[in-house]
Amino acid sequence: MSDSVSVTIDGRSVTVPAGTSLWDAARELGIDIPVLCHSPRMRPVGVCRMCVVDTGARNLQAACVRPCEEGMEVRTDSDRVVRNRRMLLELLMADYPDPSAREASTGDDELLALARAYGVTSSRFEGSRTPEAPRRDASSPVIAVDHQACILCDRCIRGCNELQHNHVMTRSGKGATTRIAFDLDVPMGESTCVSCGECQAVCPTGALTNRALEGLHLVEEETP
Amino acid sequence: MELLNRLMALQHRHGALTDESLNALAREWRLPLHRLQGLRSFYPAFRSEPGAPRKLSVCRDVACRMRAGPRFADEVAEALQGVGGVEVEAVSCLGLCHAAPAALAGELPVSGGAGMLRDGMAGDRPLPLVAEPPAETSAVDPYAGADQRFGTLERALSEGSPEAVIETLEASGLRGMGGAGFPTGRKWRFTRAAGGTPRTVVCNADESEPGTFKDRLLLERVPHLIIEAMVLGGWVIGASRGIIYLRHEYEPARRALEEAVERARERGVLGDSVLGSGFAFDLEIFVSPGGYIMGEETALLEGLEDKRGEPRNKPPFPTQVGYDGGPTLMNNVETFALIPRILQDGVEGWQARGREGFSGVKFLSVSGDVAAPGVYCVPAGMPITEVIERAGGMAGGRALYAFSPGGASTPFLPADRAGTPVDFDALARAGSGLGSGALFVVGQGRDLLDLAIQQVRFFSRESCGKCVPCRTGSAQAVRKLEAAQEGRPEAGLTRLLEELDETLAQTSICGLGQVALAPVMSLLRHFPDEAARLRAEEA
Repeated sequence: MSDSVSVTIDGRSVTVPAGTSLWDAARELGIDIPVLCHSPRMRPVGVCRMCVVDTGARNLQAACVRPCEEGMEVRTDSDRVVRNRRMLLELLMADYPDPSAREASTGDDELLALARAYGVTSSRFEGSRTPEAPRRDASSPVIAVDHQACILCDRCIRGCNELQHNHVMTRSGKGATTRIAFDLDVPMGESTCVSCGECQAVCPTGALTNRALEGLHLVEEETP
Repeated sequence: MELLNRLMALQHRHGALTDESLNALAREWRLPLHRLQGLRSFYPAFRSEPGAPRKLSVCRDVACRMRAGPRFADEVAEALQGVGGVEVEAVSCLGLCHAAPAALAGELPVSGGAGMLRDGMAGDRPLPLVAEPPAETSAVDPYAGADQRFGTLERALSEGSPEAVIETLEASGLRGMGGAGFPTGRKWRFTRAAGGTPRTVVCNADESEPGTFKDRLLLERVPHLIIEAMVLGGWVIGASRGIIYLRHEYEPARRALEEAVERARERGVLGDSVLGSGFAFDLEIFVSPGGYIMGEETALLEGLEDKRGEPRNKPPFPTQVGYDGGPTLMNNVETFALIPRILQDGVEGWQARGREGFSGVKFLSVSGDVAAPGVYCVPAGMPITEVIERAGGMAGGRALYAFSPGGASTPFLPADRAGTPVDFDALARAGSGLGSGALFVVGQGRDLLDLAIQQVRFFSRESCGKCVPCRTGSAQAVRKLEAAQEGRPEAGLTRLLEELDETLAQTSICGLGQVALAPVMSLLRHFPDEAARLRAEEA
């Protein structure tokens, strides 16, 4: 196997070390592929599927986990790519609480930013939460949990277990009822959490936020 | 395997994985608690609190639903109210479709109406045990007697070469019988050529596609063929370890396999020097903690590695990076079981078993509105109409209305396509697929929309939840379809379903999400009456 591979992304060629993901190769070219689950600090997991691109294969491919192959021709912004990303956003927005705790405090809600960028202002789907599903967990003095805002991107889990090695967080349950949990599914404040803050720092939504910032409202600046 | 085996043992011993027992295990094995919670909450065999001493697991999927109605599990639960110590649970297809409606009383397969099940569980009458279906499993056994078994392996080890085995499999045209239909010879070639360790042969015996029960009968009746082909696979790819990943509801199959493994060990077919050749190979049986998704090959590998059974992003494929990071040769039960026959027949002999240019034979699990549901071994290329005749013809005087040739993931086709031959490509051209060979037959007068929605509900319930499209999209589809079924289809529903189907097919990580809407999409394409019930504008 050769040590480097060349691919063409949106008509531009780039040569990268073998094993490089399409997402990283695109970044070399200054092409931003949207993500919700991926972060360059973390092992890619390819679960949110926002980074899908067209490689000419039968299915779209998640750029964060798809290694480049020699001669690959990739489109990151074709109609097919855009309309499927839009559907994914519509599905996620159906369950998303309004207002978002993150948007209301630090103003950096990544899901809302992407929904705006893709023009997804409403969803044809209804919220799927059942009344018995747990929603808020305010047991931690530092971090507020809102399960309804969680999109299961696994950033908090990777941050907790793989970056900080605190080993507190997991996915719990299966299918549509999957959610994040602490230890043997106890409230965050009763778990072995050491309040390092990594999870709320990497969370792209209002699911995990810093309680100290609750009630803080950003003042929107007028851009001249 | 070590951790999941331990959790299964704890579950069996205490009837639950309680917080107390998991805290103790975490201390003993020095494991983080979250890891145990992730597993306990993912696998259906585990629960956090013990249930009633006895459990009746009632099937809710298509073959049983068609016979007994959508409320069957509820009716059984109602009938058993007041019978102490019994818990009724609705479960996904149990592979007992020939005996619909079916259930498991503990480990015992039972069949019958709510009253019969109630009386059996209450001890008022004997349990209505399932009768064995017609099953033509011996059709592929090349050995007349037990002492001749493993002769194909013996000959290959003494006179053949791994390369010759691969060439025969390639030329035979054998394809994976688990559902995907990948060419078997090519898979063996890729795995043999892949570098790295550990090298493993895995038999995927996690059969759970609704309507599929051929593997169960092959495991129970010809386990020696599966063992023989796995040893041969180990020799070809250079592996000394084999693992059979078995569905946990298949207790009789587990006993048959264990006995066959023991006999193979006594014969020297397994062990340090297989039949005196100097090649070492042994195999073990791993009982799954449950869930349809575990039949997806990379979810299965995650399970073997003691993780939540969530499918991996591919590539890499298991032939390159499989169990524990090494090359893994994974085939379905039927695929393995056919191999001794193919090698005995030779390429021409095998091809001659098929009809008019189609190669070999195929096992079909036939269920639904046929007089004699069962497992039939048919020549490749036989038209579906003839398969239905083979299974006793249509039951109850019904005319054929629709059929799904290969399990929940293969679209329904109307009666006028029943002339299509049993073949991967021919059925794909007809708009469906051979899938796992689960031919589900629907007669006139049945509610096909209800059955198709049940298939979508099956996928949604069995979704692992890893990726967004499958986790959220399949559940949203079920909600909208249920509303339509109640006579309230929303405006634009069929367009929304088309769009959602595209996103599921295009962006889901694995086959489950990719096909989750296929059963309903096939109604929009081929069944105008059912499609009209999904269109508000025409209602």
